[in-house]
Amino acid sequence: MSSLRLTGGLVIDPTQPGDGVRDLCVRGGRVVAPDPAPVDQAFDASGCVVMAGGIDMHTHIGGGKVNLARLLLPETVRDGEGCGCVPGTLDTGVRYAQMGYTAAFEPAMVASNARHAHMEMGDTPILDHGAYVMLGNDELFLQLLAEGGAAGRNFETIRDYMGWTLHATRAMGVKVVNPAGISAFKFNQRKLDVDEQHAHWQVTPRQVVHTLARALQALGVPHPLHIHGSNLGAAGNIESTLQTIDALEGLPAHLTHVQFHAYGREGPMKFSSAALQLAEAVNAHPNISIDVGQIIFGQTVTASGDTMRQHAQARFGSPRKWIGGDIECEAGCGVVPFRYRDQSYVNALQWVIGLELFLLVQDPWRVVLTTDHPNGGPFTSYPHLIRLLMDRGFREEQLARLHPEVAANCALRSITRELSLREIAIMTRAAPARLLGLPDRGHLGVGAAADIAVYREQPDREAMFSMPELVFKDGVLVARGGQVVATPVGGTHFVEPDYDRGIEKLLRAHLARHGSVHFDSIAIGRDELCRCCNGGRLLPAACFQATP
Amino acid sequence: MTDAVRWTSPFCLLLCDALRVRADPAGHALELAEGECAAARIGLARFTAAPSTAAPRVGGREVAPADALDAAARILAAARQPLFGGLGTDVAGARALYPLARDTGAICDPAAGEALMRAVRPLQDRGGYSTTLAEVRNRADLVVCLDGMPDGDAAELLARCDIGTPGSPPRRLVLLGGTPEERAALQALDGQGGLRTQHVPLHGDLFDTVALLAALAARRMPPQAAPALQALADQLLAARYGVLVGRTARLPAHGALIVEAVARLVATLNAGTRAATLWLGGGNGAGTVNQVFTWLSALPLRTRAGPHGPEHDPVCFDTARLLADGAVDCVLWLSCFDPDCTPPPSALPLIVLGHPGLAPSAAREGDVFMPVSTPGIGSAGHLFRADGGTVLPLSALYRDTLPALPEVLAQLTQRVRGLRAGARA
Repeated sequence: MSSLRLTGGLVIDPTQPGDGVRDLCVRGGRVVAPDPAPVDQAFDASGCVVMAGGIDMHTHIGGGKVNLARLLLPETVRDGEGCGCVPGTLDTGVRYAQMGYTAAFEPAMVASNARHAHMEMGDTPILDHGAYVMLGNDELFLQLLAEGGAAGRNFETIRDYMGWTLHATRAMGVKVVNPAGISAFKFNQRKLDVDEQHAHWQVTPRQVVHTLARALQALGVPHPLHIHGSNLGAAGNIESTLQTIDALEGLPAHLTHVQFHAYGREGPMKFSSAALQLAEAVNAHPNISIDVGQIIFGQTVTASGDTMRQHAQARFGSPRKWIGGDIECEAGCGVVPFRYRDQSYVNALQWVIGLELFLLVQDPWRVVLTTDHPNGGPFTSYPHLIRLLMDRGFREEQLARLHPEVAANCALRSITRELSLREIAIMTRAAPARLLGLPDRGHLGVGAAADIAVYREQPDREAMFSMPELVFKDGVLVARGGQVVATPVGGTHFVEPDYDRGIEKLLRAHLARHGSVHFDSIAIGRDELCRCCNGGRLLPAACFQATP
Repeated sequence: MTDAVRWTSPFCLLLCDALRVRADPAGHALELAEGECAAARIGLARFTAAPSTAAPRVGGREVAPADALDAAARILAAARQPLFGGLGTDVAGARALYPLARDTGAICDPAAGEALMRAVRPLQDRGGYSTTLAEVRNRADLVVCLDGMPDGDAAELLARCDIGTPGSPPRRLVLLGGTPEERAALQALDGQGGLRTQHVPLHGDLFDTVALLAALAARRMPPQAAPALQALADQLLAARYGVLVGRTARLPAHGALIVEAVARLVATLNAGTRAATLWLGGGNGAGTVNQVFTWLSALPLRTRAGPHGPEHDPVCFDTARLLADGAVDCVLWLSCFDPDCTPPPSALPLIVLGHPGLAPSAAREGDVFMPVSTPGIGSAGHLFRADGGTVLPLSALYRDTLPALPEVLAQLTQRVRGLRAGARA
């Protein structure tokens, strides 16, 4: 059993009461109590900050739409620094590890595309991974919801269908994207507000969100409903976002890439920041967590399941080309390239809104640092984003370069908060681990997986977080001074909730009438998952005991 | 194998999976016991009910596997610009091939690379809007087949999508162009289930026709320019969900321009109603290998790992062109599913890995042939369905005596690395 010791580092572990200089011991891939016994390897970490490995809980790293984004933009590989805005999986794993990240979660897995998503993640070296399967736009769910009526008569059926879907696709959670809106677009609806009815099924996004959140809680799945809300990117969508929070009626939920959902209709351009309103709502609702989806200026591509909104936004894309698709009566995908420009009023405001959200939400345990890679910008910009949050002077320098009306009038100018290293450790490690229900990740307590990043303490936080001195994955040194030295295959996180197997009869009959694959072809067994994921470890996460 | 087992066909673009397979009463051949798929029948006929006893060969003579691997490794290690062609394999085969391609800087182009690029290049230039089988089955009220009915390895499309099947919902099936036989087949479907059929002749060639149709739908041409096409454009504009179906392999030279014109038409339709395309192609592993290489490297096939990073050239990295130009100096050919998919003639050193029936295609002095197991027959595997997103597992019908391609490629890669390291030392 291999062992190692990191000596003299400033250990920042937000799950422990205080930060301090101490030694960290690892044996057999786990953090162990301080132990003077000889170790196989000792590393001097003096002058360094020691944190758990980073966890990106919302990053599009695997599956159909990601590969379509690669197909759409070969020129970014040619013109970029070698791997473009949607790198191949091999580069993705390496670049994350070079920044001290050791886990990443694909947030938008289409059930019929689950094998593909797991395969891509399995081919992403070093990182542990998992995925949230999309529900809430599949015709069976909408039909059950519609037929159950306002009294929710089909709730148990929906819960079991959700349980089966999680089981069959080996997902870590459930995401809803534009609740009922992707389906509505297939019926030629072009907009769907939270209390507006789906043209065919006559259900509303409010009902969809509430039912999914309730079913997920009933199944005891640790990560609550992951919500990409209604009206993404539309001016005035703060109203939808607040209504979505309201629809939850206190049920736990995670609102994702909220920067794209915090727009008002004020000002000369009828487009304004509603970050304060959203932050106040998040502060007032302890059941809600968020990730931000910060935009970063430059070329990127947006890859989303939200066909309704991507079709509407495609005319703003650059370069002017895009891919869309309707998928198996359950989902959709829209891939639109964007070039975010600091001299664009809208883009500058989006940049501001993201930072305002980071800085106005009080509880760092409910804010996760993301760019919604690649949608707001590539994950490789995280060190830059961390500096923006930790260094007010740097932030103001950047702010001064923006479209002058935004630079002059935004609330961000007057926000003085600078995040601490501890707060960054929460937003990039401890909080995502807790929100996902991973008790042995995101911290460095005894028993934790030895996923560790050691950063040289530097005043320039961008430089500091760009290249850790040392990165360990399960106790194995994987990167040193920016050089990857080992590429183990990562493990796969998934949940195995209990559900009534009787649901299979209904699903079998539904597929025979409406599907395109045989029922017995759908579920991914454990052995098959292992093959899909390139032989990586299977890491089932425990569900909690659901209260009826 | 005496009892019929449920089976997913690797030979069909649609991966027909409501099939059962058994050995025939004599125990010699494999046959469908339940379900129908013409491509599956053809594919099954390439195998026997018992595993193959074929052995590796060098120069047409049987050798031990290690000797064949050594000979293959020597060819690859000595090559300056290998070509990996055929690419008839599944996900695991593609995953195992990639490191070898990267190590050797090989150009990778599948057997039907030209047809594959007809779908890839328009995505790179313009994008597109696609649909899948279940969407067509449940949603399409108007299906337009472009210059031909789905046939060959997509012959089950209509049945799979409930088009003209008993009890199928009302919809209209239009054949644009096509042969007299196809027109007759179309007519025979009229009235089946809730189906109405219609033939619309081409107006010039297929490109002219689709370009005109797109312009008429966009109201950029006077309607009298082509009344029949105007009527079709109006039908598409009035449909709730129109689907344009085509086969990339049937498109003429510069077929990518036709795919692009169809994308333009669909974009116009989607401004007011709903429509999508369903391009069928990428069979015999090509679509699957393209997916895998794209996720591993960020670039599709017709790419090589060059000295200055990856180089993608969808025009020049074409097997026939490379061979004609003398731009490659050895060929590694893969074809696990189809013994008729043989390497193109050339004088170059040749390695063939695939179906046992390919042995005669690599029988010259120095040629290396290694028979490997076929996913879905002798081994498990995964393939992508032609509509892009659905990946289905393939299971083995028997315990094969032949090695699986990933094992062979892993050993080959190790040997090539060893030889190259030795040459440097």
